[in-house]
Parts: sequence; structure tokens; C-alpha cells
Amino acid sequence: MISELMINAFLVSIMLAIGIALLKSRSVIYTVLLTSAYSLVAALMFITLDAVDVAFTEASVGAGISTVLFLAAMAFLPKKEEQTVNNQAFPAVICLVLGGVLIWCSYDLPEIGLATSPIHQHIVPEYILGSRDDIGIPNIVTSVLASYRGYDTFGETIVVFTAGIAVLAILKNNKKTLNKIKSQKKVVKNG
Amino acid sequence: MISSTLGVWNYWIVFFLMMIGLFLVIGRKNLLKKIVGLTIFQTSVFLLYITFGKIQGGTPPILNNINETVYSNPLPHVLILTAIVVGVATTALGLSLVLRINSEYGSIEEEDISAQDLIDYHDLIETSKKISVKFKK
Repeated sequence: MISELMINAFLVSIMLAIGIALLKSRSVIYTVLLTSAYSLVAALMFITLDAVDVAFTEASVGAGISTVLFLAAMAFLPKKEEQTVNNQAFPAVICLVLGGVLIWCSYDLPEIGLATSPIHQHIVPEYILGSRDDIGIPNIVTSVLASYRGYDTFGETIVVFTAGIAVLAILKNNKKTLNKIKSQKKVVKNG
Repeated sequence: MISSTLGVWNYWIVFFLMMIGLFLVIGRKNLLKKIVGLTIFQTSVFLLYITFGKIQGGTPPILNNINETVYSNPLPHVLILTAIVVGVATTALGLSLVLRINSEYGSIEEEDISAQDLIDYHDLIETSKKISVKFKK
């Protein structure tokens, strides 16, 4: 039991190290690669926490596709972050206070891995039994995702579809409209 | 003692990671860094949920025919599966907005963008003054 927890603590500490490196890095390519490594370690953690479906989704979508998206966007963007002149004390204070409150609250959270904690009591036993008796799919996550909560998944696909349309609409190189706006501006300037 | 410290260690680090993500979003002026911060924040929230679902000595929630197997809680897994996919959609949308801003302003630093906006606003006021003077004449 303790060894399981120690593996978790080790992996989560690696994630903390990557997070601190992210705070320090100024180059865009390091930032993107560190984000990818962060997602990969998160996927390892999901395996040790028994969430295998989440782990392979995170490894393929979180560490794979989003890194590809970042790299593709990077090709068109400035390569270095400018050194910020203003002080970052105010955001840092907000983050520290909020983090302190969260850690204070963490003493009321149930200890990790207790079978008696409230989250395991309510509807989950029915799902586990129903997945065997009613639906007949051995993977409980699949049966909940596609059957018990099928409408949620449907809504999710609508969200992804909308996001795809929005990306296409934003990135469409609409030169005609741009020229129109520019000529209008000129008219206004020349009075 | 060791197990109780380890029992909250995960929560603490997850909260630290959340705060790192939040700081990247509100403290940095580079728009790409802000989106990276959002990704970090999302992933740490996923970790928090999955940590809640873990049962010690449990197995992944895939049915086997052995009686009295303890399965970890499948419900957070389902929620987080949905959240990961939606999170990537959000990242793609944000990145496309950043690209559009870069093609319009030639910069993704917040200060440059607001400075250019200020200049534009100033120009607009000047021209409107000119126009109103013409009308008076």
C-alpha cells in the first residue's frame, strides 16, 4: 500500500519540478516541450491511480495532439518571450493566498485511497453491478460513458464540433473584409 | 505517520501545480504562456479528480469474474475523459485566437497590443474632432 503511495508521491514531485521549470523558462520551444512532458508524467500518474482509460487518452490527446497544435502555432509566432518590466507581485500574492486556503482546506479532505470516503458510496456500486447485469460491457468506464451518460458524451461532441467551426472561422484568411476595414479607416482619417 | 503524510502529499502538490497554472495565466503577459498555464491548470484538476477516485488495493474498473474484487471509482474517470477532449478543443480555439491577434498586431505581448489599441483610440478621437469642426464650419 505504502509503496503505491510512494510511487505516486515521486511522480507528482516530478510534475512539480516541471511546473517550476515552466515558471522559469523564457523560450517558447522549451515551454511547449515541458508542457508535453508534464502531460506524459500525468498519464503515468493516471495509470498508478487505476485510471487506465484516462491515461491513454491523456497520453494521446493531451501529450500528443495538443503538443502538435502548439508546435504548429509556434511556427507563426515570435520565438522569445519578452522580459516583463512590471512587477509580478500582485498575481503572486493572489496565487499564494489561494494556495494557502486550498492547503488549509485539504485537511478536511478524505485521505487518499480510503474505501469509506463519501465519493465511493452513492451511485457507483449500482453502475458496477449494472455494467455486468444490464449492459454487459466489461469496461465500466465505457458503459457509463456510452450508455448511462450517453447524452453527456453527445453534448461533448457538439462542443468539439463548435470549437472546430470556430477555429476555421477565426483562421479563415478573409482579405476582402480586412481591406474593407482598412479603406474605411482611411476614409475616416482623411475626413 | 508516513502514510498520513503521503495521504495528503498528492493534494498539496496538486494545489501547488494549480497555483503555478493560475500564475502563468494572470502573471505573464505573453499570450502563448497564458494558454500553457490553462493547460497546466486543467491537468492538475484532472489529477485531483482521479486521486479522489482511487481505492487502495483496488483494480482498474474493468470487470473480471473474481468475486470480491475492489474496483476503483469509475465515475471520475468518465468525467475526466470528457474534460480532456474538451480541454484540447479549448486549447485549439485559444491558439487560433493568438494566431489571429499576431497577424493583426504583429505581437503577442499584452502590453504591445494594448499600446497599439491606445494609439488607434487616440487617432479615432482626433479624426472625430476634425470631423465635428468641419460640421461647425
